[in-house]
Amino acid sequence: MSGTDTTIDDATDTPRDRRTHVRERYAEVASADDDCCDASTTDADCCDDSAADDDTETECCDTSETDSGCCDASNGEFDLEDDPSRALSLGYEPADLEAAPEESNLGLGCGNPVAISNLEAGETVLDLGSGGGFDCFLAAREVGSGGRVIGVDMTPEMLERARENASDSELENVEFRLGEIEYLPVADTTVDTIVSNCVVNLSPDKGQVFAEAYRVLRPGGTLAISDLVATEPLPREIRENPDAVDACVGGAATVDELETLLDDAGFVDGSIALEGEWTADLPVASARIEARKPV
Amino acid sequence: MQESLLEILCCPLDKHELELEDADRDDADEIIGGDLVCTECGERYPIEDGIPNLLPPDMREETPA
Repeated sequence: MSGTDTTIDDATDTPRDRRTHVRERYAEVASADDDCCDASTTDADCCDDSAADDDTETECCDTSETDSGCCDASNGEFDLEDDPSRALSLGYEPADLEAAPEESNLGLGCGNPVAISNLEAGETVLDLGSGGGFDCFLAAREVGSGGRVIGVDMTPEMLERARENASDSELENVEFRLGEIEYLPVADTTVDTIVSNCVVNLSPDKGQVFAEAYRVLRPGGTLAISDLVATEPLPREIRENPDAVDACVGGAATVDELETLLDDAGFVDGSIALEGEWTADLPVASARIEARKPV
Repeated sequence: MQESLLEILCCPLDKHELELEDADRDDADEIIGGDLVCTECGERYPIEDGIPNLLPPDMREETPA
């Protein structure tokens, strides 16, 4: 299937199916050798679109069957970004990239939530969908030794990378755990700030995500996340395409939907600031989403 | 996983406290193995390579070992 094919290949798309699809997809990204999927590589054994008849199964980069997302940047419509240099255009400072373990930035985000969340020393920070741990390491630097950062991700392969990165770094105030953002394994009112980078869109039950975020935040605590949002309702064939969901566009909620979800969860002072068009093909933009749990 | 973190961990299902059992620690006193057991429902959540697996049980079964 080519990247431009938007047929629905999963007719029984339940929330569970979608979650499993997302997890499998991100497990592939986490397990991929960094050098393998570099779009600039000239290694013919890897990422060669012409090798569709190749019998050997490569772990990633096999574009003959499914749009793997991570390798065929030239023709895939729903590619996951794998270019860490993109981080600079998303609001990270060069010093940020140097401060965090190199392997932790998988280039899968759509903004820099740490920069906008005004973290203070001593805070407890929760990262929803922490992936390789990049934002966690940046947050850990901000909150210092008196604070702590907890990353939750549902993909074991991602957490394995994050943990390796943590042991490579000297930061001792970062912890990772396997969990779902719809079922946070975090006690009530224990978190000062929740950050998240291009993850909530992946959830089939965003209402529950915000309800859980509200539960774990202390009164006065802040939600400060980056995510993709739909600037107008997306066509059904995009919303139901598992590859589009994996690429963070299919599951993007509209601004109106997000405002309602935040209200329903109990948040106040909500703001959704659009930051820029994400793709020329769809009405999807990156956005800063901020809200506060009332005191 | 550091033991001090236990105080803000909870069961993902019923949000009750977890107790650490059969803890395996490394030289730095970090918990690298064992089980977290819900004090309410009794569900056991394994700690593997220092990472607590706190996925709800039905999702955990789909996780490759």
